[in-house]
Amino acid sequence: MAGDTGTKERSNSGVGARQIRREDDRLLRGKGRFVADIKMSGMQELAFLRSPLAHARIKSITVPDALRDTVYLAADLTGVIGIRADSGLPGFRSSVQPILADTKVRHVGELIAACLSDTRAGAEDIAEEIQTEFDELPAVWDMTAAQSPDAPLIHENWDKNAFLETQTEVDFDGATADAAVVVNKTFRTARQCMAPIEGRGLVAVWDRTLEVLTLHSATQMPHIVRTGLAECLGLDHGQVRVISPDVGGGFGYKGILLAEEVCACYLAIKLDRPIRWIEDRREHLTAGANCREHFYDITGYAAADGTLLAVDCNALVDSGAYSSYPFSACLEAAQVTSILPGPYKMRGYRCSATSVTTNKPPILPFRGVARTGVCFAIELLLDAIARELSIAPEEIRARNLVTPQEMPFTNITNKYFDSGDYPEALRRAIEAIDLPSIRSEQKSQTGRERIGVGLSIFCEQGAHGTSVYHGWGIPMVPGFEQATARLTPDGGLELRVGVHSHGQGLETTLAQIAHERLGITIEKIKVVHGDTAYTPYSTGTWGSRCIVMAGGAVATACDALGQRIRNIAGHLLQSENDDVALEDGVARAGTASVSIEEVAKTWYLKPQLLPDGVDPRGLEATEGYKTVQDTGTFSYACHAVKVSVDLDLGHVKLLDYVIAEDAGTMINPMIVDGQVLGGAVQGIGTALFEEMPFSETGQPMASTLADYHLPVAADIPDIRIIHMETPSPLSYFGQKGIGESGAIGPPAAIANAVNDALSSLGAEVAQVPMTPERILAALDQAEKGDKA
Amino acid sequence: MKPVDFSYLNAMNLEQAENALAGQSCSIVSGNQSLGPMMNLRLARPGVLLDVSRVEELRRAEETDTEVRFGAAVTHAEIEDGTVPDPTGGWMRAAASNIAHRAVRNRGTIGGSLCHADPAADWVTVLPALSAQISIAGPDGVRKVDAIDFVVGPYATVLAPGEIVVSVAVPKPSAAARWGYWKFVRQVGEFSKASAAILDDPDTGRSRVIVGALGRQPLLIDKPDDVIAGRIDGKAALSHALPDMPACAVRMHAVAIDRAIEQMAGSPE
Amino acid sequence: MQTDVEFLLNGKKVTGAAEPRTHLADFIREDALASGTHIGCEQGVCGACTVFVDGRPTRSCITLAAACNGADIRTVEGFDTDPLMEAIRDSFKRHHGLQCGFCTPGMLTTAYDIIRRIPDADRETIRKELSGNLCRCTGYAGIVDAIEDVLKEAPAAALQPTERPRSAISATSAAPKAAEISDSKQAPSPETVIVADMALPAADSFETATVLRKTMHLSAGPEEAWRLISSPEAIVSCIPGATLSGPVTNGIANGACNVSAGPIKAQFRGTASITYLPETKSGQLLGRGKDGLSRSGLEGRLDFQLVPNDNASDINLEMRYRLNGPLSQFGRPALVEEIANGLLADIAQAIDATLSGNDATAGRTQPQRSLSGFRLLFNAFKGLIRRTLSTR
Repeated sequence: MAGDTGTKERSNSGVGARQIRREDDRLLRGKGRFVADIKMSGMQELAFLRSPLAHARIKSITVPDALRDTVYLAADLTGVIGIRADSGLPGFRSSVQPILADTKVRHVGELIAACLSDTRAGAEDIAEEIQTEFDELPAVWDMTAAQSPDAPLIHENWDKNAFLETQTEVDFDGATADAAVVVNKTFRTARQCMAPIEGRGLVAVWDRTLEVLTLHSATQMPHIVRTGLAECLGLDHGQVRVISPDVGGGFGYKGILLAEEVCACYLAIKLDRPIRWIEDRREHLTAGANCREHFYDITGYAAADGTLLAVDCNALVDSGAYSSYPFSACLEAAQVTSILPGPYKMRGYRCSATSVTTNKPPILPFRGVARTGVCFAIELLLDAIARELSIAPEEIRARNLVTPQEMPFTNITNKYFDSGDYPEALRRAIEAIDLPSIRSEQKSQTGRERIGVGLSIFCEQGAHGTSVYHGWGIPMVPGFEQATARLTPDGGLELRVGVHSHGQGLETTLAQIAHERLGITIEKIKVVHGDTAYTPYSTGTWGSRCIVMAGGAVATACDALGQRIRNIAGHLLQSENDDVALEDGVARAGTASVSIEEVAKTWYLKPQLLPDGVDPRGLEATEGYKTVQDTGTFSYACHAVKVSVDLDLGHVKLLDYVIAEDAGTMINPMIVDGQVLGGAVQGIGTALFEEMPFSETGQPMASTLADYHLPVAADIPDIRIIHMETPSPLSYFGQKGIGESGAIGPPAAIANAVNDALSSLGAEVAQVPMTPERILAALDQAEKGDKA
Repeated sequence: MKPVDFSYLNAMNLEQAENALAGQSCSIVSGNQSLGPMMNLRLARPGVLLDVSRVEELRRAEETDTEVRFGAAVTHAEIEDGTVPDPTGGWMRAAASNIAHRAVRNRGTIGGSLCHADPAADWVTVLPALSAQISIAGPDGVRKVDAIDFVVGPYATVLAPGEIVVSVAVPKPSAAARWGYWKFVRQVGEFSKASAAILDDPDTGRSRVIVGALGRQPLLIDKPDDVIAGRIDGKAALSHALPDMPACAVRMHAVAIDRAIEQMAGSPE
Repeated sequence: MQTDVEFLLNGKKVTGAAEPRTHLADFIREDALASGTHIGCEQGVCGACTVFVDGRPTRSCITLAAACNGADIRTVEGFDTDPLMEAIRDSFKRHHGLQCGFCTPGMLTTAYDIIRRIPDADRETIRKELSGNLCRCTGYAGIVDAIEDVLKEAPAAALQPTERPRSAISATSAAPKAAEISDSKQAPSPETVIVADMALPAADSFETATVLRKTMHLSAGPEEAWRLISSPEAIVSCIPGATLSGPVTNGIANGACNVSAGPIKAQFRGTASITYLPETKSGQLLGRGKDGLSRSGLEGRLDFQLVPNDNASDINLEMRYRLNGPLSQFGRPALVEEIANGLLADIAQAIDATLSGNDATAGRTQPQRSLSGFRLLFNAFKGLIRRTLSTR
């Protein structure tokens, strides 16, 4: 651990402080600048004609003559190439996502024509006038059916509807022999929409003087979009600038190169006019339902005392029609095989996972990525084994969790758990939810409402780097993360980072880190992000990586800058620079001090005062950072929830919810809480409400927010968080990535609680969301089973 | 998405509204809280939109000894807040306070909700249970329709072209009357999955059991006194009225009846 | 087509011309250039666009700009000297009541309204009242905390609801002359139907589609009933809303089916084939149609058979349907339950009415129920939902 925060008093705005966020004031006054807020002279609004069908050959597209100048079809996009995001893994089947479809459509909402007008309404009017004729093909709407040999092929030149099949097997054969119980289950999670309240959007502008395209886009990864865009449009990187302004939530939805971006940028160049496209909610729900849909056929082998011997699993991930840039379509399914064991020890393991191709929007990694699904599968399996063996859910977990004495621990799939006390998180969660009193409450219940309690525990790899990702052979592999720290002549500090902040509060936490290292008051620190012209290259904001990677980069750059400040200050103070300390905005040596502002002025404006041999690179440092080893930090948490289930209506109420979690060293505990709570409520959405059903013709069946149910304030109890704080030995301050963690645990914990509530009735749910219909069906089935 | 373009007329009084209706086919709108989303999705494509939200005569509420007559453009929030009299001594206020969300209640109106005739809407179920009477103005003058006969199917009412709902008269129940209105929603403000409104008012002979959110028009249950007294259970009453109804729907709506009865008896919700 | 818009925005008069279809949020953002009001769904659900109209929280995405003439509108930009809003902002900062900030303008509006309207609100009440505003980042905890904190010692609310303006700007209140009114594009009338000649679906392609069955008693005997049914024109006339665009040749018909449910109207234009098996007094109607404006498609199969029943007869109807496109993309199973049930009865009743010499629609007691095509459509959709649930 390079940080030394443990040895000195924590500053009230440095690492560990509940610092009020620096981004809040503008957002609270309506002064944020989101992409839809950008308006330019001569700007044209773009609306798309999208495919109404899931799978069809396009017979004809007819544009009325009068509108021909306002409508652009595939053939009009000269020199533009489609989006391709291959994996280097053997057997990967490669797809090309057309920018505009002209021969075949493979999911509802696929782009067919671009329509331009002065207003969005006008552009939609034009889209309505275009006549289309299709030869409809049978749709592949279900990932299990997609595997059938007579399923129609989505990509005709493939041999089957799968991007990739992956397998992992470790010591499986010998491990099952002593099993006292073998439990087989199938589990399913629904397809979801990530549903940031702001959708995607863009404004593309061509500067004909500089010959530079500027794309303002609501994206999590401006640099990656720049790279992908340059490729698709055949431009040099130097001709493309991407600016990500204030962004209204991402969650993975905005971590992608969009066909819409490629199309709008092409039109902006061709027409030499600014082009704006703002995704509307209907587009989001129908064309952007792109995450979370998993299927597990899983078998657990356990000894009589609950010791887990082996797990065998066949998993399917519905990956949709195309592979999205930069994450390949196989990323999620392939992760399933490596992370399914969770925080548990086992002797043998076997898992195969298929990235199934279907007539649905291409899959994207949603907060928690594959983890939400695997946690659901392994945690429900554990409860099922516990029921089989008549042991308590907490007992089977305690028996199989990796212990603190075993840390760091390399698990059965070669994951390196860096630090932590998993059993303690379990113990604290159980204590806080007061498990004994719930158990006694359960004994006396007789009515039509049943109480249940459920647990889930998981660890989350974050900020993993090159060694983990290069093996996938995807278009983007993270390496060093860079940051620039630059002192301005007035003694202010500018931090430039290539990641993007869209709710995570990086404008605050990165400033806290710089303050921690340089002592400059936080009010004078500005975090610059989201503009490829200003910031060092970065793969962007994803994978719970920013606080570890960008935080580490900022600290490293600040340390380099600090050295140079001390050097000049030492000269001014007539002291050795090793004796100079930076605190409270001054450089101090003994009793003498000089303000950092004066140091900056000296460098920029009074060079005659500089010492001989001063570092000519000046007061601006760009440094790269990697963790001690790039296997990732492992944050972890135990979720415990108390529910009631109305047996007449199948309605689930959350009565109490506890999360015991460990994010390592917390840079800003308020923001850690915010990340955990926000993630948890998304997880509650997964558990109880959110689902994009598809019809058997591949139609998405929830085109409004009245059909697609997001959690609202009244659905949520006051969630209590218990912090543990075990530093990671791998990161700068011991911090761990925590951004996704909250969304992982809830579906498993709530399903286990519902099944606990229903256990006396013999009913069990194995699918989220747990709607009244599904719970009533489970009760009916149990009743029928009883009679039979 | 944005709506298709349309002509917009804003009537200030009933005469203007009636003249507009006589001249052309109009979609009448007040709060636009139900029609608005449908227009934004281009599902509804009115040629002419007649806004009656400021029509003097539709904005009034008048109380007499026996009833309160709500103008059709009285908002849910005005009922919720008691800005207009509540003939039921609070039952209507309570029902209003659970319609959608406050921002919607601030513009949505009692008449608009009825005319939109969404089977899951609150007034569509509550007003028939209170034996309300709807006044409709049309080319041939004013006619009155019992609330139970007003909605005839999903999104369908007895309104003929050129007609407009002017007011909703709700009779005052007797002092001994009891009331229960229960709806099953998982989330605050969403369309209910099942609902039942029950008035027990033997003194006036207006006892009624109404089941709503059936996907069809509200269902008037036979022999309300027997249902209220528990001599006929909800399931039996529903199966009798709608023999083809799937068992799972019967179960959910029977629960709504049971819980409305419990509520009427003073049990906690 | 433009209409005049004039109102007070944050205390300043704003005037402009806008298309009547322009909603308040768009007008504020695009014409008045106040971008603090955010648009999150345009479906009236998410609450991000909530602003004060005459002091009352209002969804600006489903409120027309033209409907706000004379109103006093206040957005997030209009509270800089308001002590209550300042207290709320400060509390949102301290309690981490925002992350990305996109829902925040609507949240502040609702928070302000809760605090001034329900001064004794507890956490449960706050949560209920907040439920019309979606936040995807915070999990609501910080927002609830922030409001609860302000309620402990809330400054007086400077903004209060006011009377709605009684009169509007004259331009919008005056009815345009009839000639000025051009109807929006609607489903065309049957007379203008163009022959569609669409490829028919395969009769055996409905194996997994929803099946609806209905048996209706007809007062006519089987022979008499068969005479009616074996005329394709007659049977089409018994499908409410359906019209033929020309004669039926070789059992192939082109035509249209006008459908509506309340304000939603569509016209499916397409092709149908009719085949008869006289020996069993049965037959099959197979069809496919497309609604051009919504790009929705409907295809289906109707099997029918006459069975003697004393001197009269029974008709067994069996329907299978599939729906595609935007009109199919809704999730209200309870709503469509009844729509579906009404359909077959309508057809059977129409057949019965025609046989007994009554006009097929005049005999109906419920005048608005003749548009059953939409019921078909909703029914298909309902079945899909049900099947989706049952197979998972």
